[in-house]
Amino acid sequence: MSSLDAREALRLDDVRKVYGTADNPVTALDGVTLRLPTGSFTAVMGPSGSGKSTLLQCAAGLDRATSGSVTVAGQPIPTGGEAAVTKFRRDRIGFVFQQFNLLPTLTALENVTLPARLAGRRVDRKRCATLLAQVGLGDRLHHRPAQLSGGQQQRVAIARALASSPALIFADEPTGALDSRAAREVLALLATAVRDHGQTVVMVTHDPAAAAYAGAVVFLADGRIVGHLARPTADAVAERLAHLTDAVAVAGV
Amino acid sequence: MVTLALRTLRHRTGGFLATFAATFLGATILMAFASLFDTAAGGVDTATEETLTLMASVAGGWCLLIVAFAVTSTLTLAVRQRDRELALLRSVGATPGQVGRMVVVEAAVVALAAAVLAVPAGYGLGRLLFTLLVRTDQVPAEVAYRFGSIAVGIGVGVTVLGALLAALATARRLGRMAAQEALVADEPRRMGWKRVAAGVLLVAVGANNGLLTVLLFSGAGSDAMQTAGSASIFASAGLALLSPALIRAVTAVLGGPLARLGGAGGWLTVANLRRRSHQLGGALMPIILFTGISVGTLVMQSVENRADAPGGTIPASMQRNIETLNLVVVGMIALFAAIMLVNTLIAATTYRRREFGQQRLAGATPGQVRRMVGAEAAVLAVTGVLAGSVASLATIVPYTIARTDRLVPDAPAVIWPAIALAAVVLTLAASIGSARRALRTPAVEAVGLTA
Ligand SMILES: Nc1ncnc2c1ncn2[C@@H]1O[C@H](COP(=O)(O)OP(=O)(O)OP(=O)(O)O)[C@@H](O)[C@H]1O
Ligand SMILES: [Mg+2]
Repeated sequence: MSSLDAREALRLDDVRKVYGTADNPVTALDGVTLRLPTGSFTAVMGPSGSGKSTLLQCAAGLDRATSGSVTVAGQPIPTGGEAAVTKFRRDRIGFVFQQFNLLPTLTALENVTLPARLAGRRVDRKRCATLLAQVGLGDRLHHRPAQLSGGQQQRVAIARALASSPALIFADEPTGALDSRAAREVLALLATAVRDHGQTVVMVTHDPAAAAYAGAVVFLADGRIVGHLARPTADAVAERLAHLTDAVAVAGV
Repeated sequence: MVTLALRTLRHRTGGFLATFAATFLGATILMAFASLFDTAAGGVDTATEETLTLMASVAGGWCLLIVAFAVTSTLTLAVRQRDRELALLRSVGATPGQVGRMVVVEAAVVALAAAVLAVPAGYGLGRLLFTLLVRTDQVPAEVAYRFGSIAVGIGVGVTVLGALLAALATARRLGRMAAQEALVADEPRRMGWKRVAAGVLLVAVGANNGLLTVLLFSGAGSDAMQTAGSASIFASAGLALLSPALIRAVTAVLGGPLARLGGAGGWLTVANLRRRSHQLGGALMPIILFTGISVGTLVMQSVENRADAPGGTIPASMQRNIETLNLVVVGMIALFAAIMLVNTLIAATTYRRREFGQQRLAGATPGQVRRMVGAEAAVLAVTGVLAGSVASLATIVPYTIARTDRLVPDAPAVIWPAIALAAVVLTLAASIGSARRALRTPAVEAVGLTA
């Protein structure tokens, strides 16, 4: 059992997340169980509002599941205060947010070095600058978020998530604001993290072509896992997605 | 736009709390003093009329300056914090005129409500002031306290007018920016020339008053208070206007060591001090005013009390009057500045919930965020106390020379440390306390907030 756990990068057991008040509850996750091996690249897909961001946030310890458990590399996310969760998270997990969440007062390079500073680790400015160059921002190191385009901010956020070489990387629509060329570069970067460094990547995307970079796709609808596709191609993903939206539309009527 | 203004008011009451508090308090203090005019006009003997009018015009006059200053700077700060939201409105098609009208209507509604609600408070405080004058035998017991049109007129008029003028100036600034520019606008790198000129002018007036004290009133006894007393008020107000520049100067000196030794918190603090000097300047102002005016006036009064040779043209019976007057002025201004200080810090820190959320998502523990806020507050407190102390010298040094022919004032040694300590404790407590509260919002929720 425990030897299995060590090769399991992420494990969710019957995770539920309910937002809102008691008399007006919104069930964002409705009993999600998921196991992802170390060194896997998984895409999470599903209609808008199906709970993809919520899933990532609960899995990353950014939000607390209403019930169920989350285990990262064999260790459950601590239940103590925020400080304990933060310390757990920053040693293991990188996160690319749908809304970037860069610090407005810091430059691109400073934003990328921030997690290491906060964790009290040595700041490797050279590596951070290299990462920014890899996402095509070698000439924007000293610009602040307000001086960057949306796609450029997104790439800073990606470099930040990769900077501390976390075992587990979550990316919420990391190519949402990018043109197809920049998107390909970012996806290649994530694929490299998996292939060459044994990191585990979980990525939310709406783009079948992006999902094709992953080793498997998990489909989500109404807070439940409704499908799974191994070794996806863009066409296969698009087809499954079309069925899924139809099914949801029918169920909604 | 008027409807939008009213709806914004209803939904974002928190954001307007700072403006409301400043206007409410300012109006209360002004009404309290102005009610002495009402009382004087109610058929009293000449001596009493003179005492009341003197108290109302001198003490009330200084409070008026400080209140106008506080109301305008709080309102400006409050609107600045909404720059993004207002720019967003512009980008979806609101004209600068519409946004400007919205800002002005909001300010008018908040200020008017605060000023009207301040009437009972102003009555109470005025009554207290009056009782103080009766107790110290400066006003005969048979005089009746009155609170009437002058009190209400001045209290409501000054605060609402101040708020409106500040809102109009801000609306004009917004109107000059293109919508996109407003959306991504960083805060200005430097202060506008008008602000620099006003700050330098006020400091110069303060220094000039100090100089006049020595030149005109040496050996003239407590007459010297006429110019010396106001010197530190002018100098403090001037330095307060220049506060973004002061923050930049202090950061230039302390920034390096703080970033190196203060861990991640220290490093973030320095980034903020460098790039948010205007926003933090808003919090520095009340610290400077509080320290400068309290230290200056209290030391001056102590020197006067301990000076052996009474002199000058002011009769002995008036000396007591003047002492009460000084203590009342300094008490009111200090109290007002202290409340403004807390008010501004709470508003500024609460506004930063989103930023704190982003820091937490990037891996900051709540403790690290609190330490960062604490380090910032410490820099603000030290800067403010230093600047305020320098401003207070504009009163203390000239008055000591003129009154006692010495350079070092003969005053209780506890005044300065006590006031400095109060400023530091208030600043730290208000900043860290509101940061604690802001941290209660979960990080993922906090980053979704618009303000
Ligand atoms: N803080 C919140 N309070 C209440 N409801 C929420 C909250 N956050 C999300 N929800 C609801 O939970 C559901 C799932 O939201 P989530 O953000 O996870 O969707 P998503 O799959 O990421 O959608 P998208 O593709 O549009 O980003 C939605 O119905 C949403 O309205
Ligand atoms: Mg989402």
